Amino acid sequence: MDTQLVTGVAGFIGSHLAERLVAEGHAVRGVDCFTDYYPRADKEANLEGLRREPRFELVEADLCETDVAALLRGVSTVFHQAAQAGVRRSWGKDFLSYARNNIVATQRVLEGCKDARPARVVYASSSSVYGDSDDMPLRESSLPRPISPYGVTKLAAEHLCRLYTVNYGVPTISLRYFTVYGPRQRPDMAFHIFIRAMLEGRPLEIYGDGSQTRDFTFVSDAVDANVRAMTRGTPGEVYNIGGGTRTSLLSAIDLLEEIGGARVKREMKDAQKGDVRHTLADVTRAERDLGYVRRVALKEGLTREYLWLKERLGK
Amino acid sequence: MAIDRELLEILRCPQCKGGIRLTPNEDGFICEKCRLKYPIRDGIPVMLIDQAEKI
Repeated sequence: MDTQLVTGVAGFIGSHLAERLVAEGHAVRGVDCFTDYYPRADKEANLEGLRREPRFELVEADLCETDVAALLRGVSTVFHQAAQAGVRRSWGKDFLSYARNNIVATQRVLEGCKDARPARVVYASSSSVYGDSDDMPLRESSLPRPISPYGVTKLAAEHLCRLYTVNYGVPTISLRYFTVYGPRQRPDMAFHIFIRAMLEGRPLEIYGDGSQTRDFTFVSDAVDANVRAMTRGTPGEVYNIGGGTRTSLLSAIDLLEEIGGARVKREMKDAQKGDVRHTLADVTRAERDLGYVRRVALKEGLTREYLWLKERLGK
Repeated sequence: MAIDRELLEILRCPQCKGGIRLTPNEDGFICEKCRLKYPIRDGIPVMLIDQAEKI
């Protein structure tokens, strides 16, 4: 039987994606090296459901070191979700981890795919590749000019994907995720931080003036895009995956207050380097080529994340 | 949790890329050349050099 490979399977999006694939009857091989970017316990919790599935197998391995050929054996689609994530920490000496886990790891996967010839390689890219752009909404043809080193590494890996398609026919599709949120969102991400602060009765720290906007994408919509990319889309291409729920941070906090049923104190802090002002995706291409459909609106998605975190924190 | 038999047979040592063998009680993989044992913890093969035991 064909196996689907999910790298970064213990993470936020990887774990949801693997669950969806298993639910659809696929055999799934997951790989993760459980970096200490955030607690292992969180990642183990992400995998709880999957660990009980007979059609799921897990390998703890570092893509920069492991025998990639072994991981690719019998694999029809590679979902490469593994990465060093997080815009803010990609400066200074922390950059090495970004270069290694985003660029080198992707290159190793692609080299393996040159020989293994999977039917598809779906790469998780990021809206960070665009940087601060006046082209709103952002189209795939907009010039990518990242303003964070993290964005540079995601873009570099994206280019590697395309050139392995062009030179070796490895069928890659890159999905540019726009601020994904939902249950299992990483603890360094804004909504997770805000909800946790609310539940723990602390004020919310907001960087900048809070009027910055994001095109928030609920995790199941991002997962859906990956599943569609298994059989649709043009190899070598890149697709914006945005939730269509562009909202300012302050408005999102208002929504959280409604959901949580309590007002919160807001503390304004200086804007952080590398943070873009606004993101908004033009998803025409994804709709046309992948049949991408956004299904979950912000209030519903935020409610689900709120309830998940409430339970996980035991509040 | 199931571990694919075929996968177990083709995994390699991440350090020297050489062959490894499953221990008799299936609790790890041994690389003779590097004298390392990679553990299988809770059904998960841990193919990380810094987690391997020197033997």
